[in-house]
Amino acid sequence: MRERARQPARRRPELAELGARVSAARAGAEARGETFYPGASRVHLGAFPPRERWDDWVELSSRAWPAREEHHYMLVPTTCFNCESACGLLAYVDRDTRQVRKFEGNPEHPGSRGRNCAKGPATLNQVTDPDRVLYPLRRAGRRGEGSWERITWDEALDAIAARLRRALQEKRHNEIMVHLGRPGEDGYTERVLASWGVDGHNSHTNVCSSGGRAGFQFWMGIDRPSPDHAHAKVIYLISSHLETGHYFNPHAQRITEAREKGAKLIVLDTRLSNTATHADYWLSPQPGSEAAINLAVANHLIQTGRYDAEFVRRWWNWQDYLTECRPGLPVTFETFQRELAGLYAEFTFGYAAAESGLDAAVIAEVADVVASAGTRFSCHSWRSAAAGNLGGWQVSRTLFLIAALLGAVATEGGTFPNAWNKFVPRPIHVPPHPGVWQDLSWPEEFPLAQNELSFLLPHFLKDGRGRLDTYFTRVYNPVWTNPDGLSWMEMLTDEQKVGCFIALTPTWNESAYFADYVLPMGHGSERHDTHSYEQYDGQWVGFRQPVLRAARERLGEQITDTRQVNPGEVWEENEWWIELSWRIDPDGSMGIRQYHESRARPGEKLTVDEYYGWMFEHSVPGLPERAAAEGLTPLAWMRRYGAFEIARAGGAQHECEVPASELSGTAVTPAGRVYTTAAAPASPNIVPAGAPGPDPQGRRPAGVMVDGVVRRGFPTPSGRLEFWSATLAAWGWPEHAIPGYIKSHVHPSVLEPGQMVLLSTFRLPTQIHTRSANSKWLDELSHTNPVWVHPSDASRLGIHRTGDLIRVETEIGYFVARAWITEGIRPGVVACSHHMGRWKLTGHSQVSAGGMMATVDLHRGGDGWTMRAADRVKPYPSADPDTARIWWSDTGVHQNLTFPVHPDPISGMHCWHQAVRVGPARPGDEHGDIAVDTAKARTVYQRWMQQTRPAGHVSPDGTRRPRWLMRPLKPSAAAFALPGQTRKEAGTG
Amino acid sequence: MTDGRWELLRALGAVADSPAAAGAVAPSLGLDVPAAAEHTEVFILNTPPYASVYLGPEGGLGGEGTDRAAGFWRALALTPPAEPDHLTALLSLYAHLGQAAAGTRRPATAAALTRSRAALLSEHLWPWLPAYLDAVTDVAGPALTAWATLARRALTAEYRDLPAQAGLPLALRAAPPPLTAEGRISDLTGALTTPARSGIILTRHQLAAGAGQAGVGHRIGERRFTLHAMLDQDPVPALAWLAGEARRWQRRHRSRESGGATGRWWHARAAHTAQVLHDAATAGVEVPELPR
Repeated sequence: MRERARQPARRRPELAELGARVSAARAGAEARGETFYPGASRVHLGAFPPRERWDDWVELSSRAWPAREEHHYMLVPTTCFNCESACGLLAYVDRDTRQVRKFEGNPEHPGSRGRNCAKGPATLNQVTDPDRVLYPLRRAGRRGEGSWERITWDEALDAIAARLRRALQEKRHNEIMVHLGRPGEDGYTERVLASWGVDGHNSHTNVCSSGGRAGFQFWMGIDRPSPDHAHAKVIYLISSHLETGHYFNPHAQRITEAREKGAKLIVLDTRLSNTATHADYWLSPQPGSEAAINLAVANHLIQTGRYDAEFVRRWWNWQDYLTECRPGLPVTFETFQRELAGLYAEFTFGYAAAESGLDAAVIAEVADVVASAGTRFSCHSWRSAAAGNLGGWQVSRTLFLIAALLGAVATEGGTFPNAWNKFVPRPIHVPPHPGVWQDLSWPEEFPLAQNELSFLLPHFLKDGRGRLDTYFTRVYNPVWTNPDGLSWMEMLTDEQKVGCFIALTPTWNESAYFADYVLPMGHGSERHDTHSYEQYDGQWVGFRQPVLRAARERLGEQITDTRQVNPGEVWEENEWWIELSWRIDPDGSMGIRQYHESRARPGEKLTVDEYYGWMFEHSVPGLPERAAAEGLTPLAWMRRYGAFEIARAGGAQHECEVPASELSGTAVTPAGRVYTTAAAPASPNIVPAGAPGPDPQGRRPAGVMVDGVVRRGFPTPSGRLEFWSATLAAWGWPEHAIPGYIKSHVHPSVLEPGQMVLLSTFRLPTQIHTRSANSKWLDELSHTNPVWVHPSDASRLGIHRTGDLIRVETEIGYFVARAWITEGIRPGVVACSHHMGRWKLTGHSQVSAGGMMATVDLHRGGDGWTMRAADRVKPYPSADPDTARIWWSDTGVHQNLTFPVHPDPISGMHCWHQAVRVGPARPGDEHGDIAVDTAKARTVYQRWMQQTRPAGHVSPDGTRRPRWLMRPLKPSAAAFALPGQTRKEAGTG
Repeated sequence: MTDGRWELLRALGAVADSPAAAGAVAPSLGLDVPAAAEHTEVFILNTPPYASVYLGPEGGLGGEGTDRAAGFWRALALTPPAEPDHLTALLSLYAHLGQAAAGTRRPATAAALTRSRAALLSEHLWPWLPAYLDAVTDVAGPALTAWATLARRALTAEYRDLPAQAGLPLALRAAPPPLTAEGRISDLTGALTTPARSGIILTRHQLAAGAGQAGVGHRIGERRFTLHAMLDQDPVPALAWLAGEARRWQRRHRSRESGGATGRWWHARAAHTAQVLHDAATAGVEVPELPR
């Protein structure tokens, strides 16, 4: 037996020595680009794959368990395209198959921070949807007949470009319109239209958020608030729309953080929403009374002296108010304080209680909680009340009044103007303002409209105000989304009114059935866009990209056209618009092509790589340096990580002193507005904001004098927060120039006996209009929209149980739905989500749309239209075995068809709430039935139009609209002049 | 040196995370790489490294024990991870706090971070880790036994470095009552498999050995089922073995000189358990039957 060599005694290393050894090992591993601690969560205190491992991330197959089957992924970021939050996604691209296997959150995204709602991962369903549109189609028979033929992209491009070229050459610019649903980007499409010289941008915003926006814009010249929920002490939400629908994920996670730190959550929502279930105070008011409640809270702050008088003195335009409205009084702050105490004295808790039906003591308690917030008061109002009521824009205006009283404006935990928390990088080309004015979108009757009067388009065409030669819808479904959708159908089927209708869409929808061309566009992982949204006090820019393109480029391939990687012949919009613009103006003689040309290679077509490469190189501060530190170009860095945070904690930008270099040749008005002859400093951020005009000498506004210091101020005419709006006063609405209460069109005093209020504006957090409807996971979660009825109403109306069929009668027709009897709704009010009720027409065999569309018979008779389901959804065979597992048949009811248009005369917002009669279904009624009389819809339209005060009557300067107000695709100054008038002065109204 | 201190603790925690993590960091810790089977035996099957198992009122994962750890993360304004009481996460947090205190220039912030770290150690690590690491050595092979030894050294150094804490940690102050001789068999098995009640850590490994020593069949199942079967077959030798096991733990707790009030508490609990079991075994009591 061999003797074992004697081993020297092993020295026990000191802890410090071991620690140094581990540190050195870690440093060495990380210097090699490796991860020292494998695994994700516990060691790194996070739950995401470390970014240095995104090229080859290994996961074990859950289906193969217990066998260890490895999947190797490339993780490629993109941006979700379902709601507006623009959350970051990480596509898990299988390195073997080069296909996306799943989507999860992108931890590098500053807004969503790696988290997603159900809609983000469901992007996979949209990508693999067996019913999506994969090839360009052209109608083969009559419009709306349902026959289609596949064509090439070249055929589509040549035909459409020829139409557009002819229209432009014949100066029919206003016959071209592009109608957007979810923009999903920051201004690209607007610039395409500007390059054509066309004022043809139309948005969905006046059926969405215009009411909320208008109230904020009149205050601060910026139409979106940016609440710093995470640091708030009190969070006050008018409806939960954002927090369960629009900005669901980025806001909800920050509200949750604040609540964990003890913040109080107050939700005003007539319906028990998901957010309301988490609230410390859920107030379920009579719809339309929200502004009265806000004013009672404001009055409490004023009467008890619990407002920030110093902030009010420095930043409100109280001098303007006194000068214009109380000319006999001395212009001192003390005078204003006395005035203020009287202005809202009538809004007692008792008054608010009487209007809202809430308990006065509860409102008083809430007011005290609000008062305790100080400058940590974050608030928001978007759709719901602001979108539901006549005068709904005053809901957000009175909400911001509370914030402005507390001085909680751009403070930590307060509410910011969104433009300070948003970054829109200047692109490679910025075409000039178009020199025409589109009356079909911006009619004279609505000089202060926040956005295009899009939902009135069918009525305007019926009025004979114009026609459309070429009408694009782009990720938009106007027949389904708008009120009075059958009037839209009448418009779209009339070739005299709409010469050519082109639907740019990833999936079939109720409008595309009536198109001349259906052109397939990519989903969130199949297209390029940039995004930036206000979600905290910081600025970020996110990048959406075709993930398979990025993945294959990482592997060394060169991709020059996104169609090379997308399924079928699905394209993306950037490349489509560039190509179309080139075909409109092939030789550059029309002046269009120059905006779609390469700078690096003049005369050649601009590529998406150059477009975004230039933007990230020149217009995103800090990104080039950050990318260089990793040896990447800015574009490569964005393709790798998907989002970049430009700034954090910018704070109160209105307080920033204007540098002396900007203050040459200054003039200061008595109220302190400072004008300068110095040029505005160049900024790479072209975020939309108000644009107050120059003084009579042509000097631009540079800031506002506050206690002897010139500060940046707000982009309003006064430079301050506008408690009193000179714009409203001068443009025909002096009675609404300060925050106030406008009684709704569904105020109890105007309801007829037996009428109830229908809330139709709420979302389901797991669906998002047309876009999500082919997501099988989401469809399984939510596929119907019963009508919420309070038990006391159910009993009174003879509705015995949940599931009973009921008939809901509106002013122009009725719909038949199922009842859901619940205490989650206020007595006297019913509610139905607008997310459901998708349909396709019988005989349209080429149209396919998954588990969400009933097949309907649509009939037009003497009394109008009727719709009845001929076939419900059911299992069906397809490339996806899950379609054989559809277990539901009920897809809800398309209630919007039965709503007439209700344009608010000031904001232009469609006022969604309906006065309805509700009762059990009649004999013969079936679930989903619709009946609509579009002649009655015309009458309602005409009645509401009578409330307007047209610019021709009220314009103080011969223009169509105050030029300082925000407006997508703002035309040139000359185009603002009213027809037949010389513009006296542009912009300062 | 300072960074090394925190990295050492982080790496010790990483060993408990997964076989892959243990394999990556063990060499730099001077440890042999544990086989995946050994890792599973220790950290999955016998001594799962979660504070809730050893401090929670039910002796299982989750519940109040986890909530308490999650609350600590929240108190620091941190989002708790999915498993806030896992040893890896707790040691990572401990290292993070130490590193952050070393990195800040503001004395007040550094002091606050150090207070937080002291609280983490005294409330969420020290109350269970000394006994836990002993239990690991009952089960582990050479690699993880060496890990437990090193972890004990490092933790003891941390414990000595921080100011002495007055009184018991909350988990022990609020611990459920100790074992009693009365009650049904399910109460007994429940208490014996709940360290915070019994003062002992009864692993599957020990139960298998105990069944052999007591001369009863070892019925494989979850620990309460196994214990139930042992007591059911022949209660007196089973109780006698359990009493001996409790005495072993009593000695272990006593041997830890630096355990302070926490060590004394565990010692008292184990001593009480040993006494109750001894009395029961001596009296030859019939264990009341529990409906199956």
